[in-house]
Parts: sequence; C-alpha cells; structure tokens
Amino acid sequence: MEMTSGKRARFNRLFNPVDGRAVCVAADHGWMSDPTPNVVELERILKQVVEGGADGILISFGTALRLGHILRGKNSPAMLIRADWMNMPRLGGSNVSNVLPAVNFKKIATSFATDALLVGASAITIYYFIGYGDEFERINLEQAALFARQCRQVGLPLIIEPMAVGGMVTGVNIAEILIASGRIAAEIGADALKIPYTGDVKTFKTLVEQAGIPVLVLGGAKSDVPRDALELVDEALQAGAAGTVFGRNVTKAKDPRKMVADICALVHGGKTISNILNEKRDGFFRLKTIPENCIGCRLCQIACERSHEKGYGQNKSRLQIKFPEIGDELCNFKPVVCTLCGKCVKACQPNALTISATGHLTLDREKCTNCSDCAIACPFDVILIDDEGFPIICDLCQGDPQCVKWCKQNAVVTVPLKKLPGRL
Amino acid sequence: MNFDVGKAVRMSDIIDAADGRGLIIDTTLSSVVGALPGLEDFATAIVKINQSCDGLIINPGQAEHHASLLGGKHRAAPIIRLDWTNAYRDETFCLPATEVKRLMISNAEDAFSLGASAVVASFLMGYGDDFEATNIQDLSFLARECYPLSLPLWIDIRTVGEKVSEINFEESIKLGASFMQELGADGLIIPQCLLATCRYVCEWMQIPVLVRLKQTPTAEQLSEIMHSGAAGAVLPESLFALSDYPQQVNELYFEIHQGRRA
Repeated sequence: MEMTSGKRARFNRLFNPVDGRAVCVAADHGWMSDPTPNVVELERILKQVVEGGADGILISFGTALRLGHILRGKNSPAMLIRADWMNMPRLGGSNVSNVLPAVNFKKIATSFATDALLVGASAITIYYFIGYGDEFERINLEQAALFARQCRQVGLPLIIEPMAVGGMVTGVNIAEILIASGRIAAEIGADALKIPYTGDVKTFKTLVEQAGIPVLVLGGAKSDVPRDALELVDEALQAGAAGTVFGRNVTKAKDPRKMVADICALVHGGKTISNILNEKRDGFFRLKTIPENCIGCRLCQIACERSHEKGYGQNKSRLQIKFPEIGDELCNFKPVVCTLCGKCVKACQPNALTISATGHLTLDREKCTNCSDCAIACPFDVILIDDEGFPIICDLCQGDPQCVKWCKQNAVVTVPLKKLPGRL
Repeated sequence: MNFDVGKAVRMSDIIDAADGRGLIIDTTLSSVVGALPGLEDFATAIVKINQSCDGLIINPGQAEHHASLLGGKHRAAPIIRLDWTNAYRDETFCLPATEVKRLMISNAEDAFSLGASAVVASFLMGYGDDFEATNIQDLSFLARECYPLSLPLWIDIRTVGEKVSEINFEESIKLGASFMQELGADGLIIPQCLLATCRYVCEWMQIPVLVRLKQTPTAEQLSEIMHSGAAGAVLPESLFALSDYPQQVNELYFEIHQGRRA
C-alpha cells in the first residue's frame, strides 16, 4: 500500500516496522459512556498499558491534553485520537451501564485532523456506522470522506472503524456487511481499519484480503476469561490481521500491563496462548531466539543480571547478543541463549552440572572443580566463568525466565521441550 | 490563444489527441457494495489492464494507495470519482437501499493533489425534485471549482430513478446531456441507449461523449457505437469477473483506436 511520506512516518510509529503489526488499546470509553472505574482510573491504567508495551493508545482529544504526557518518548505508544463522538452505548441494548439513556442515534465529528496533529497524534480514528438506515450511513460516509481529505492534506493516517448496527443487521448478514464495509472504507480513503471480528477465520480472511489495507481487530465487550480474548486475537492473526485495538478487555482487566504484554506476545512474539497463560508449566520448556525481532537493546541481558546478580551490568548475563559486523548491514542482532542441549552436562566429569527434575540446569558448587569443561563444551559460548572459577549457567530463572518477560520485541521466547537431554 | 490549455492537456490523457477516442474502465462500484468479483485484490486486477485502456475511474482511497499504478506514459490516467450513492444497492446486496442517498466524497483540489487527470461525478436522474436540485447544485459548484484548476470534469449521467421508464429513457438522456453541457461539464458519460439517441447527443454536444456499456461488448457492438459519434466507451466493473478480461480489454482498446488510426 502506498502512502505519502507524512502518513508513512506516522504509521511507522504505530506499526512495528519489523513485523508490520500493532497492538493498540482503546481508552476512549469515557467520551461516550458512563464513567466506570476504568474511566475514572484512566491515568493509572494508561501507565500500565504503556508498561505492557502497547504500540498505540486511542484516546479522546481532552484526554490527550490531560494525559498525553504519558505518551512522551520515542518508544512510547503512538497516540491515536478519537475524532468523533456517538451515543450508541446509551441507546440501550448494549452491556455497558447507562445512567442517561438516549433515544436517537447520533454521531458527530468533534475534532479536525489538524487538532490531532497539534497534540502529537500519529493517526485519527472515526466510526462508520452501517446498517442503521440510509440517511445515517450517508452522514457517516460524508464525515469519513471529509476526514480522508483532511488527513491527506496533513499526512495523518486515517483509521476507520466500521460498525454494523441497527435493525437491518442480523446474525446472517453481519459478516457480509462487515466485509463490504471494510472495502467501502478503504475506497473512501481509510489507511487502516479497526473492525469487529466476523466470528470465524474464513470470513475475516476475506475481509482482510478485500480491504487491501491493514486491519486491526477490536475486542468489544470484556471477555469473561482472558483466554477468550486471546483466542480472538489468535484467530484474527491467522486471518491476516495486522494487530488489535482492544479496549475494555485491557482497561477492565485485573492487570492491564499483563493483558497488554500477553497480547503483544501473541501479535509480535509468535507465542501460543498456552505459552502465554503459563500452561507450559505443565511440561518442560527451553529458550528460543527469533533474531529478526531483536533490536539489540540488551534489556534481556540486564534483566538476566538483575535477576541473578542483583546488579545492572551485562558481564554476567546468561545470554549474549551478537552485534552485526561492520559491512554486514543486512545481518540482524543475534541473541544467543542456552538451548538446554545438554552438552555441558555430559562434559561435566564430577557431575556438578545436572538438569533438575523440573527441567532447569543446576550447579552443585560442592562438586564443581572449576575445570571449565562445561564452558568449553558449550556450542554457543553462553557459559561464562565467574571470578571464583564457577560456571555462570542459565537456570531459566527457575521457570520464569526474565529475559523472555522483559523482551518487548519477543526476540527471546520459550518453546515446549518434549524430552530433557543429559542426565537428571 | 487557448485559455483552456490545462484542461486540454489533461483531457488528452484520457481522450487520445491523435484520434479523439478513449477507452475508460470504471472501478468505483466497490465503494458502494464492497469488493466486486475480480476486484478483490485491486492492485493485481489493475496491473493487468492499466496499459490497455486510456483511463480508469477510481475512488480517492484507491487513488492514494495505488498511485504508482496509474498515470504517466502508456498507462491509464486516473479519473477520480468525487461522489457516492447507494442507488446501486439492490436486493442482491446484504443491505439493500430503502432510500436513495448521494454525497460528495471529495473535491477538485483533493483530486488534483491525488494526481487526477480528470474528475467524475454522477447526475442521478429520475428521483425526487429536491434530490435533483441538490445534485445539480453540487455539480455546478464542482464545475466552478474545476475551472481555475484546469481539471476536466466528466459527468456520469445515470437514468436510474423510479421516474425513468422505458417510455422516457431515451429522452431523459437527452435532457441530462443538455443540463450537463449547460452546467459546464467537459465531457459526458451517457448510458447505453439506442444508436439514434447516441448519434443525436454526440452530434449536438460540443464536448466528448462516452457511452457507459451495460456489459463488455463485442467488437461489432463497439464499432457501431463508435460510428454513432461517441468518443469512446466506459466499461463497467462486471468486466473484472470475466476470466479473460485483460485480453478483452486489449481487443476493445484496439477496436476503439484502430478505426481512426488505420
């Protein structure tokens, strides 16, 4: 998809340039529905969302003025501005609280593209309601077209959110309507879509293919259990979605930081849901690297050393980052980790090194003779020797590897291990 | 001195200056009913025909996202559609229109910045009086807007309203052509009609007239239309559903231009 340089530059802040995906959080609910706790405590929640590693946060113009400072910094989430307002949640029939019911469905434009630029936005988001009647759709498209023109003029990406609502929408035709509405939005001038899941991979794949622009799936009402929300993400990704815009599933979560981190692990890290939900603890696992994700930030090394040595260095880290050689610009950073190959265990004559019954490398310092044979046997050179002559080994942080936890790029992940190598 | 040199130069991107003819393909129905068969992957579909037609009618969003496929030497010129209507949502669509609506989705300046060689908007005939008046007002303002930009304005006359029947269809086209020439259009697209009507309109109008075909014509059908005085044809989106559409477009392009060039 082609874009003007302004739009491309701003999109690059939203979509991870490595995988072209984005994890966004919608935090604009206070603009359109009752001030529930997730609205009242928005500042605290947004800080956690930032910590979780979100790529973008959707907020209203007023919230941008009030809390935009949270998004300062090159690596902080991109700001998406909700440029319109509607009263649909107050019409009844939705699952949100509603102290002042509305009767007539209204949707109005509330900000210009230039307003969004002034507060540092990387994109704006607007609704496109389809199915509520011909005149209402005409108004929606008129506003969408106006925003498309404004955004082209100032180089600001436009994200359109098609919503199939109204008496003409049924369970039978909703997928078809969403597919059509995605393409219509693209034809009018959307640069990306924020759109509900159609309910199955096949129809959502059709939607993604026919839209021809990046598609971000939205989460809708809060799921009863996190697994349901993650399964929706997983299916949307299988269908070719470019990421997510989850609102209440994050802002109403017990731990918004973890929820965002979990979604990031799915979207960017290629992790499985079982992996994310710690269901892997039922079996053994090992570390695996995804070099193309690595940006060489060394946060994994710092987390490793902090966890084991209580310091912030990198000299005693259990994993290494190999940097590209000069003249080899195409080469990525290469994280090198212990893969539990077991060669060190086999090389250890005094049996000081073993793999425990829980699947972690263990050193018995009483038995260790400081021979360094384990370090020599390591094919990846990740076993270092400390000042006292003992090997510095990766013990997978006893089942909670900090390098995996802290790597926002998901360059270090865990994979199941069917069988443990070496002697136990 | 030719004060309309800007329009003339841009118009020649669409209507070949050598023979006064052009073959145009419309792709814009996707903004009304979603992706049409064969147009699901827009770029792939367009690459197959963008060197064998003179112009492509395209929506602003696609013009922006696929700018590198359009314009320039030996490639179709972008003609940007500036309006939208739900008039073509019939019972085959998941949300049939119950009340016809139309709106302007872009303007001349925006189209200009998107690299348009021309713009096009519809004159929907046969609906209520208010609807007609608003439509004419929008198109009049558009004509005034296009003039200082030297951007050719094509008007797409669509006789689709309930007031148009078999009885008044041919005369409605003449009425629409008259209105639009008076309004300031630089070119007209009229529906496929009797050859006599087509000849009448083409001889009367002092601007190029293209005929919007209902389906992909045979070479003979196209030849008859061209001999009635039309400057060319507009092929509908249904073209892309044909498995051999690139070949068909090639043949029609040859048919349109070779008569004069031979």
